[in-house]
Amino acid sequence: MTRSRIVAAALAVALTGLAGCGAGDSVDVDGDATAGGSAGGTLTAAIGGEPDQLDPHRTSAYYSFEVLENVYDTLVEPDADLKMGPALATRWTTSSDQLTWTFTLREGVTFSDGSPLTSEDVVYSYQRIIREKLNAAYKFATVKSVTAPDPATVVVTLTAPTPNLLANLGGFKGVAIVEKSNVESGAIKTRPVGSGPFTVASYTSGDTIKLTRNDAYWGQKPKLDGVTFTFVKDPTVALQNLRGGEVQWTDNLPPQQVPALKEAGEVAVTTTPSTDYWYLALNEGREPYDDVNVRRAVAFALDREAITKAAKFGQATANQTAIPQGSSWYYDYSPYRHDPDQARQLLGQAGVKGLTLDLMVTSEYPETVSAAQVIAAQLKEVGITVKIRTLDFAQWLDEQGKGNFGGFLLGWLGNIDPDEFYYAQHRTGGTFNFHKYSNPTVDTLLDQARTQTDEGVRKQTYERAAKQIVDDASYIYLYNPDVVQGWSKKVTGYQVRTDRAIRFRDVALAR
Amino acid sequence: MGRFVLRRLLQSVVVLLGVTLVVFLLLQLVPGDPVRVALGTRFDQQTYDALRERSGLDRPLVVQYLSYVGHALTGDLGVSFRSGQPVTSIVLERLPATGSLSVTAVLFALLVAFPLGVLSAMRSGSFVDHAARVFSQFGVSVPDFWMGIMGILLFAGVLGWLPPSGYVALTDDPAGWASHVALPAAAVGLVTASILTRFIRSSVLEVLAEDYVRTAEAKGLRRRVVIVRHVLRNALIPVVTVVAVQLASLVGGVIVIEVLFAWPGVGRLTYDAVQARDYPVLQGAVLFVATLFLLMNLLVDVLYARLDPRITLR
Repeated sequence: MTRSRIVAAALAVALTGLAGCGAGDSVDVDGDATAGGSAGGTLTAAIGGEPDQLDPHRTSAYYSFEVLENVYDTLVEPDADLKMGPALATRWTTSSDQLTWTFTLREGVTFSDGSPLTSEDVVYSYQRIIREKLNAAYKFATVKSVTAPDPATVVVTLTAPTPNLLANLGGFKGVAIVEKSNVESGAIKTRPVGSGPFTVASYTSGDTIKLTRNDAYWGQKPKLDGVTFTFVKDPTVALQNLRGGEVQWTDNLPPQQVPALKEAGEVAVTTTPSTDYWYLALNEGREPYDDVNVRRAVAFALDREAITKAAKFGQATANQTAIPQGSSWYYDYSPYRHDPDQARQLLGQAGVKGLTLDLMVTSEYPETVSAAQVIAAQLKEVGITVKIRTLDFAQWLDEQGKGNFGGFLLGWLGNIDPDEFYYAQHRTGGTFNFHKYSNPTVDTLLDQARTQTDEGVRKQTYERAAKQIVDDASYIYLYNPDVVQGWSKKVTGYQVRTDRAIRFRDVALAR
Repeated sequence: MGRFVLRRLLQSVVVLLGVTLVVFLLLQLVPGDPVRVALGTRFDQQTYDALRERSGLDRPLVVQYLSYVGHALTGDLGVSFRSGQPVTSIVLERLPATGSLSVTAVLFALLVAFPLGVLSAMRSGSFVDHAARVFSQFGVSVPDFWMGIMGILLFAGVLGWLPPSGYVALTDDPAGWASHVALPAAAVGLVTASILTRFIRSSVLEVLAEDYVRTAEAKGLRRRVVIVRHVLRNALIPVVTVVAVQLASLVGGVIVIEVLFAWPGVGRLTYDAVQARDYPVLQGAVLFVATLFLLMNLLVDVLYARLDPRITLR
């Protein structure tokens, strides 16, 4: 029997199955109804991978933060428009020299184990991050001291004015307020104790994390009895789980199927522009990419619409700057039309012929792999041969750190303040300036904007920096992707957030 | 026999020491910095240096290795870079999931391969034989993850009979476990069944050609008696080895299927550890699989002596 006949036979079997039976509509909603007015029920959410650990100060994995968002609180937190608003702190004042911030804590807040959350806990949490140099330590770079004059007051003093201090202290749960005894017992890695709407009830490695409602939560009581997180790496399987009713929420949908899913309406699928951006960086520590004309040539050679389509199946917005349109920091600037002639001319000016670009992408982010193929075709038109190198992420990071690349594709995720969009990436010697960009004008602007307290002036300063960065093609910006999430029609009250924070506190489940 | 087992166990310790050394050196050759992977995309240099120091990666390689082996000899395999949890308990936690999947897969494979292989050998050249050979050819050529995806689409999607993925512990809910294990076990078991079918078929064919079979038939023994008493008993001795090795390799090797079906076993643990360059967990998982292989081999040798009186253990 030939191979094609085997395939035909397999197809016939599958078709017979299709014709014979309808879809099984089994709905499996765990959890018993509780007394009281709440709708109750346990929502099962499928996320794309497993958290490495649940200590918010030590993890860097987005999977961890998907869980921790529902378990922990920060001093302040971003609202739906990413404006920082009250959370554990109800109000705050700033001294006239902008160097002292005084926060007043909400009254009567307790951790989920019942012990009170006071200013001492805030001081402990911040000092833990600073002293042990944990992941978010860079957010406290200008913090001189954190003190607790009384149980309801936290005072933060600074070495320089820090207009984005609120974003630093509340932009994500990596700066959450933790409980000292939970840290010291080591239990925080698997059984963290926070003050958020839910609390971790169990963690089965490789399988599930179960949250139950925190009845002592200071805000509006969550309607759900609990949330169960399962880890499903394969998007096809996650979608199947959602359709079958085993799962009621997922952010791991196969991108190519999203348009059809939205059309079908069987499950709710929502896409919202995110604050992420994806870009191409050329290694300015290497010839000929140290020549701005070569970088600009590449920028002109790219057709961003085509790249966006290939990489994200349309679930993204092409952009020539970093900050997305919806943001109050958006800067409308797009000097690079798709113009291969201009690109060839610039390459000629630079005296570059027969260039081969070593472009590094990673299988960890499949969109970089698909984007690279389109970019290779587009650059070929202007005489640049692209050699695509696909690596696993650990190796990719290694090569990036060593500067072993001609160019690479990657994204920056979950940015709020413009400082996060530009500083570490484009400041000379910045932590993530792996492509060795250096422009003294940009350095000065970024340094000024960091401490600029007048918001209008600050925005203008960032726009001047952004213009220079785009003109120099330090990063060749490509697009801002959408956040894509799907949930069962039984789920109500869920809001997709542009910063990808997953909040289940206002969600209800029809029964 | 007791001395044989003891000697083999001692040899195993030496082999395992070799395994730790090879794995340790290989990990040094693999590109990728565990500290950068752990920190993700937002940190500064001081944070990097601090984590590197905390995880002991800044110490000389010889010191790292000796301290690892020293602890390993006392049963302490260190803690995970990523989660900070002890490696021994991380690996042991995954054992029930992997064990129940691989045993079910092998049972499924035997259930299919045994009748198919024997029938196919006895009726060599018949329709049954041809069908069995097509089946086994199909099974070894088709990758198990593809079988897995097709299984999900058919049984979970179209028919809605089985859940597409996930895990329920056998001890919590046997029925739930059975419905969850069916698809991954079938996907893995089909490949194993194909290998076993071919093996059993050729083994039985070989024995059928032996003189003592002809003699037994010439004596006028009934066909069934000849097959059961003379052919199968001899043909199955090499099959035991293959089954044992398959079982051992399944425990450490169903990585793709475990990842696909979100099955919390050792394979998925290994996959995640490689992605994260979590050296202690990876070393622990490899050490565990190596130990299992050695024990399985020992078990096979002991079984041989039981099954075949011609073999004595010294």
